Amino acid sequence: MKISLTVNGEKRALDVKPETRLLDLIRDDLGLTGTKEGCGKGECGACTVIMNNKVVASCLVLAAQADGAEIKTIEGLGGKDKLHPLQQAFIEKGAVQCGFCIPGMIMSSKKLLDENINPSEEDIKRGLSGNICRCTGYVKIVDAVKEAAHKIKSGGEENV
Amino acid sequence: MKKQSINVKNKLGTSGKDSDKYFRPESKEELKKILEDYTDELTVIAGGTDLLVANYKNLYKIEKWLDLNWLDSFKEIKIFDDKVEIGSMVTHERLDKLDQIKEHFPVIQKAAADVGSPQIRSRGTIGGNIVTSSPAGDLLPTLLVYDAKLKIISKDGERIVDANDFFTGPKQNVLGDGELVEKIILPLEENKSKGAWVKVGKRKALVISSISLALNLVFDNDNKIKDARICVGSAAPVPLRIEKAEQSLKNKKIKKVNIAEIAQIVSDEISPIDDIRGTAEYRRKVAYNITKSALQEVINQ
Amino acid sequence: MSKKYVGKDVLKVDAQDKVTGEAQYPSDLKFEDYLHVKIKRATYPHAILRDLDVSKAKQVEGVVDILTEKDYPDLNKFGLIIKDQPVLIKVGEKMRFMGDALAIIIAETEEAALKARDKIEVEVEKLEVMSNPQRALEKDAPTIHNDIGDLCTNYIDPDVGKQNILMDHHLEKGDVDKGFEEADFIVENEYQTQHIDQLPIQNEAGYALYDESNDVIKIWAASQWLHDTQADVAQAMNLPKEKVRIIQTAIGGAFGKKEDVSVHLHLALAARHTKRPVKLVYTREESMISQSKRHPLTIKAKTGVTNDGYLTAWEVKVIGDAGAYASSSPAVVHKGMYHCTGPYNVQNVRGDSYAVYTNNTYGGAMRGFGTTQMAFAYESQIDIIAHKLDMDPAQFRYQNAYDIGSTTPNGQKLGKSVNLKRTIESATDLAQWEGEISE
Repeated sequence: MKISLTVNGEKRALDVKPETRLLDLIRDDLGLTGTKEGCGKGECGACTVIMNNKVVASCLVLAAQADGAEIKTIEGLGGKDKLHPLQQAFIEKGAVQCGFCIPGMIMSSKKLLDENINPSEEDIKRGLSGNICRCTGYVKIVDAVKEAAHKIKSGGEENV
Repeated sequence: MKKQSINVKNKLGTSGKDSDKYFRPESKEELKKILEDYTDELTVIAGGTDLLVANYKNLYKIEKWLDLNWLDSFKEIKIFDDKVEIGSMVTHERLDKLDQIKEHFPVIQKAAADVGSPQIRSRGTIGGNIVTSSPAGDLLPTLLVYDAKLKIISKDGERIVDANDFFTGPKQNVLGDGELVEKIILPLEENKSKGAWVKVGKRKALVISSISLALNLVFDNDNKIKDARICVGSAAPVPLRIEKAEQSLKNKKIKKVNIAEIAQIVSDEISPIDDIRGTAEYRRKVAYNITKSALQEVINQ
Repeated sequence: MSKKYVGKDVLKVDAQDKVTGEAQYPSDLKFEDYLHVKIKRATYPHAILRDLDVSKAKQVEGVVDILTEKDYPDLNKFGLIIKDQPVLIKVGEKMRFMGDALAIIIAETEEAALKARDKIEVEVEKLEVMSNPQRALEKDAPTIHNDIGDLCTNYIDPDVGKQNILMDHHLEKGDVDKGFEEADFIVENEYQTQHIDQLPIQNEAGYALYDESNDVIKIWAASQWLHDTQADVAQAMNLPKEKVRIIQTAIGGAFGKKEDVSVHLHLALAARHTKRPVKLVYTREESMISQSKRHPLTIKAKTGVTNDGYLTAWEVKVIGDAGAYASSSPAVVHKGMYHCTGPYNVQNVRGDSYAVYTNNTYGGAMRGFGTTQMAFAYESQIDIIAHKLDMDPAQFRYQNAYDIGSTTPNGQKLGKSVNLKRTIESATDLAQWEGEISE
């Protein structure tokens, strides 16, 4: 069946099966493999994307349910020519180890900072509570989110 | 390794309504028509946060999908003088964030905030939580302490069922083939009420509760407890009201309540099992402790 | 030591690719016209495979082929230390745990592969399932590996059956019997640890491609022992090493789990058989069932103590649940034993350790390699003893702590960088510990 949606600002029209997951659409049909599958059951958060301004586990959303939706993935945040402050902060604070959880972590962080640019440590932990890092680098990840908030505030709108 | 650029061709087309395996009604009339045509072949998807987990790698086996996400009327929250109606497709995130829920039904708000993770709360729905009917469903005890009623619809009509009578066993309820929960009806209490919610699990997020407790006390003008509701989750095949404890709370001032006695009643009245999330013995002890802390929380409010 | 990096923040070279989503993990690769691979696994943890019928499965639309041992009867077993794991279970032979592979399904779509897998018919003759190493050590316990010969080299305890012992070790330092005589009291306890999955967020996954021009199989997968895996795949397929290339992708976590061969061999066979690119991605369940775990260790500890709080003797018996195949067990279990006293001075130490085959998923490498399980035992033992002595557990640790010149249970004399006492001092300071710490 045919659906259309906007992914990272680009309008896409695709043919999907009813059982195609949003994650499969993003990775297989659109080739945006920055979004990862870790468990397929909404437990790990590696597949987190922003859908209509909400964080979702794209493994638990049917592609058909994203018909007409606006999706943002890690690729839509910033490339190496112009890194998003979150990406920059994750690099600087050493928050990246194996890296497999990082796209999901950054998307959850993005949503968190979109809503609250002055998050407390508790706010950050709650905002990232759906994302697991098995390298267990949580301290530096929390540091990176704080640093990104600082960067965004001091850099003004254009940084975001 | 760096990524090679992958050339993906856009295909033309829109709508999503061109499949005979996937239905997304946008009105109740459309819904009823679909229910009439395919009653027992349909797999109903609400938030999908349980369904897609249960059918992981087997999604292709689902013959016909009925997706309730396009029914705007199922997403409404309506406030009347004497009741609030919450559409079954209202997400946990909305229950957590809406001021009206926090004001009138704080226990529901707190329980919704404890569901899963941001990713689960943004998709999972109150109706899905109810229909899945897990003994550990986070919202279920909170519905029982607010005397919720459920409006159930089918192709043939509709009926109202007390939330207290809805659950019949673990993942079992009174819904028949082709029946759906349309909305949750919560009476608005005239008198002042205070409540508490406690969820105990192995982690704070993404955890199925080992035991949970919802408490709602309604006070009369003399500040005596007019009505009491205590409901425990994950401690019996269904969310369990502890009527004996409720009775002994009634007509007392909260400060005169023997908290330990009530906690002991709750601990004795539940019928927990040993499972991966805890032993029955552990659950009885924790039930005692969380009853005390919930009552203390109300006292401190 | 160089001051260029130590104590300074260093930007990781691959971090930028990872924050932008550019980094490619095995399942992120894409090859034109690739095929999907799925594995049909054991249907019972310990059983003789009596019949394996893939004929109905092969008729599923989209299935390219299904490979079984019949197609490749000359494959050799594989394994990190001991080659005891079959690539595919042969009819008439045994499946030893739920992760054993029976058939490799190759299809145009994942759905076709899954459908075909459901249609494979398996007949088994069930055997006693040994999920507990204590049972596997009994003299009348069935033998899990009948065909490996005597693996047990330093066999010590005459009361146990040796047929399922994969490896045993004996440790002796000083005079343990005398040490217990010198003790004012003796504390004996048994500790049990559980299976733990390393659970890297990225499951085992990979692609393989057969290059006909030079007869080379290329495998893109995340591996911790790249060259060992290359050698193991080659020997299993009777190929010289240069005919197998393993190309490392980004690794989405491993923590020991990706030391073992996983997707590699089945991908190699499927790629060479079909002459098309093939892809195999494990599900979380598959990863949990078929790949290594942290070993459960049963640890019996007996410690001799003086009334003034010194350790005179320490004896341990360690039984490690190796699971169905050896993997790293021959190294992990006795490494745990060698750490039996933790960082505490004991002159007289004795230990026996057994790695025992069972029908559980095999134990392998995981962060700490046997020592973390043992830490649970010796630190618990230390706390229990401190309690019996009515002594501050921090002080008890401090006065028994390793220092320069201490010798470990295996006789290593520690010459430098022994900072346990300083660590205890700092930790008690930071914790605002109530007790006083002194020599």
